[in-house]
Amino acid sequence: MLWIRRLWLRLQTLFQRNRSTQRLNDEVQFHLDQQIAENLAAGMSLEQARHAAMRVFGNPTYLKEETRDTWRWTWLEQISQDVRYAGRTLSKSPGFTVVAIVTLALGIGANTAMFSVVRGVVLAPLPYFQPDRLVMLLESNKRFSRDAISYPNFVDWQRSARSFDQMAAIMLHQGFDLSAPGSPEHLDGVEVTAGFFSTLGLAPGLGREFSPQEDQRGGSPVVIISNRLWRNRFAASPQALGHSLILSGTDYIIVGVLPAGFRFLDEADLYLPLGQYNPLLLEARGSHAGMVAVARLRPGVSVAQAQSEMSAIQDHLDQLYPDADRGTGADVEPLKQIIVQDVRGTLLLLLGAVGLVLLIMCANVANLCLARSASREREFAVRAALGATRARVVRQLLTESLLLSLAGGALGILLAFWSLRLLLAAIPGNVPRSENIGVNAEVLWFSFGVSLAVAILFGLSPALNSYKPDVQASLKESGRGSAGAQHRAQSTLLVVQTALTLVLLVGAGLLLRTIRSLWETNPGFDPQNLITFRVGLSPSTPKTGPGIRASYLQLLDRIRVIPGVQVADFTELVPLTDNDADAPFWIDSQKPAEIQNAPRTLVFTTGTDYLRTMGIPLLRGRFFTPEDTTKTPFVTVIDNVFAEEYFPGQNPVGQSITFGWDTPVGPCKIVGVVGHVSHWGVGESDRRTRAQSYFSLRQDPDKWVPLNYPDTKILVRTPLDVATIMPAIKSAVYAGGSAQPVYDVKTMPQIVAESMSSQRFPMMLLATFATLALVLASVGTYGVVAYSVSRRVGEIGIRIALGATKPDVFRMVIGNGLRLACTGLAIGIAVALVLARLLSSFAQLLYGVRANDPLTLFAVSAVLVGVAALASYVPARRATRVDPMVSLRYE
Amino acid sequence: MGKPNDLVQGTLDLLILKTIALEPKHGWAIAKRIQQTSRDVLQVQQGSLYPALHRLEQKAWIKAKWKETETGRQAKFYSLTAVGRAQLEKESANWSRLSAAINLVVETT
Repeated sequence: MLWIRRLWLRLQTLFQRNRSTQRLNDEVQFHLDQQIAENLAAGMSLEQARHAAMRVFGNPTYLKEETRDTWRWTWLEQISQDVRYAGRTLSKSPGFTVVAIVTLALGIGANTAMFSVVRGVVLAPLPYFQPDRLVMLLESNKRFSRDAISYPNFVDWQRSARSFDQMAAIMLHQGFDLSAPGSPEHLDGVEVTAGFFSTLGLAPGLGREFSPQEDQRGGSPVVIISNRLWRNRFAASPQALGHSLILSGTDYIIVGVLPAGFRFLDEADLYLPLGQYNPLLLEARGSHAGMVAVARLRPGVSVAQAQSEMSAIQDHLDQLYPDADRGTGADVEPLKQIIVQDVRGTLLLLLGAVGLVLLIMCANVANLCLARSASREREFAVRAALGATRARVVRQLLTESLLLSLAGGALGILLAFWSLRLLLAAIPGNVPRSENIGVNAEVLWFSFGVSLAVAILFGLSPALNSYKPDVQASLKESGRGSAGAQHRAQSTLLVVQTALTLVLLVGAGLLLRTIRSLWETNPGFDPQNLITFRVGLSPSTPKTGPGIRASYLQLLDRIRVIPGVQVADFTELVPLTDNDADAPFWIDSQKPAEIQNAPRTLVFTTGTDYLRTMGIPLLRGRFFTPEDTTKTPFVTVIDNVFAEEYFPGQNPVGQSITFGWDTPVGPCKIVGVVGHVSHWGVGESDRRTRAQSYFSLRQDPDKWVPLNYPDTKILVRTPLDVATIMPAIKSAVYAGGSAQPVYDVKTMPQIVAESMSSQRFPMMLLATFATLALVLASVGTYGVVAYSVSRRVGEIGIRIALGATKPDVFRMVIGNGLRLACTGLAIGIAVALVLARLLSSFAQLLYGVRANDPLTLFAVSAVLVGVAALASYVPARRATRVDPMVSLRYE
Repeated sequence: MGKPNDLVQGTLDLLILKTIALEPKHGWAIAKRIQQTSRDVLQVQQGSLYPALHRLEQKAWIKAKWKETETGRQAKFYSLTAVGRAQLEKESANWSRLSAAINLVVETT
């Protein structure tokens, strides 16, 4: 076929270029020789023959070029020429090349790293089958638009809903103490209904899912384990199926092993059937204990349609069960949206910030290129005189920019790779899907695209400026060239750089002040010298309420006598650990008609030494004592916020309140008032429950003890550090029977720092970007001022000759640099103020300082002016040393 | 006809195709042949001949082979391909039609 033959010929001219060129030479030479032979035969001498032949022949070089043009691929040849030439010129100015590549690498690398994060967390699809068909089902009520669901509601939903192929429920954040096989360890686990994995669209790698018979009360104890647990404890042997694990004293048979890397929301090692969970919670229709449902939409059903069906179903349930469900609605949302929603804003903000850094970096490199192209004016004039078109010269310069940019991009990818390791270590725990962050093909393509865009951005302006139609002027000896236009371009870029740097610095500064404010705020207790940890239940402990209570109290007694321990106690809720533990309550016996409308209080269920352990002041009355037991009347203690809000102007001691848990507890007599503690972050936002009350763990009814006590955290106040005291604590724990894991060991200062993680993480990143930007801006200022001085040497010489003193010259140069900086400052401040109003997601992070805080703006401006002055200092000094005789002669 | 360089590209192609229709020739021979056959009116310059030859070769209308001449030198001989032959007939027909039409216009007073 013709086109095949043509393609073959074209490929030949591509790959055998040299040979084809040689052949062409031979062919032309042959023609020439024939003409000479003819001339000789006509009677001319050899010399005449040759001359005559050449004259007729014309320009052989031109002929060969014309002929070669008919071969395709000349564009490829030109490109390779450009690349080689660019490589040569760049290697001739190594200083410029290295600085440019490093600058580009920093900017592109930072962007690549940030994009990896955004891609992994926000953009990449969830690792399940057809993940966009998966939705999460939650309840909505007056308190929360998204609340955990209850099991009875879930069962009714599953039965009635038609919009879904499958629905399953999962109870998160369960923990289990594994005692055998292997050493005792506390593991994270979840409880799931049968069909959970098939709803997500996958099956256990080994074994099977739970059957409906296992997923109910009285079902046989079975467990599905994670791939990691399988490899750690069973050496990845297929014989693991059918083996048993001893969890919290009970034998569970392994029926399935999950594929590697599987996770749903959090990582878990153990999956147990939800139907076998504590019946007290499974039967409570109004409970919100951490259960959510996930479902797969039927093909053709949209989220909105599913939402309206579920709302209708829940409305019906509201009417059937008014006590528990009045005012409850169903909430259907795409799964991915729920997972990434909270961090999306922050991450996109950071991506914007790093984009600013990229722009600043482009401005810097563009300035460098401008300065360089000014010194190459003569070269371009010569090329133009020899017949180069503007397009060709521009293409040549763009090739140089591209080469720099790709080199910088490659280096940047390496930098991103390394810095991602550091970044992943610093990422706060509440960033979802952080396991997904990494450099993959998408990220590499992004990097490549950014490199291309950057090359065009910083290369275009100098390239377009370099081709001057007035060749004569450039070729003259004293070619001053277009110093004016170039300086203007450079100055504009510098002003833009300064403005962007200011914006970044302001952002970082505001966050820094926020964190300082948070640290300085009194959280209401003394976090120093406080350690917290959790203890698993020993399998030898009797499973009754009194038995468990006794073993915990004995454990506390043992810990208290350890040398170095000042006070110790246990509590179900540690302040600043973001657990949801508030409950409705009512005063005296005035139970409201609808519990949903009752006021709420945050409940700390603690031991009797809690106040002393935490360092919380007692304001009135007394705290709990060992005399308050399950056989004595219920007592409670409230904090001063509670007292002011619900008992204003009175003495609350002596009054009673009742806690509206699923089984209401009360009336509890108020026996004391204590100080308020910060719980929802050190700088509490108003929307959460602030009234706090306390309940004594010793008064927890027997039937709830097996559920509640293992959830408690032990607090120890000791001046010794963790490494010193933990071995002693562990022996105290083991003295009550071994096989009790001690886990989640943290110090209180650690917990306080972690509570600030949503500010600390962006602050660290912004501070890094701002520092980068500051360095770039100062280098840029130095470059621009130094360059302008070098161009104006003649002018300076004349000024000095006419009587300007050294301070005058100094002031002139520094004034130049400062003027540029101040223009940039003004623009930057305006931009910062505008952004302060627009970026609400940033403003939400701040505490103790406003987004348009004048002090921060002033401080940052001062820093920038100082840096600009410093950067202009050296060129200014050099300008003062200009010898007018030398400069004028040189001109 | 004026200077041979005024030849339209398509016409030169036609001349070349016709010249090598009978037997393969190298570039020099093609130029000489055209000059002879046209009685020295058409003198094809190398500057147009070789680009035309290479272009025709890229289009696969002619193919080339390096062979020895009678004098023992290596030269690149061009010959027609099947497609080239078909193209030659088409171009010839076009040329006849065109030139007849021009003749009609020019000769009608």
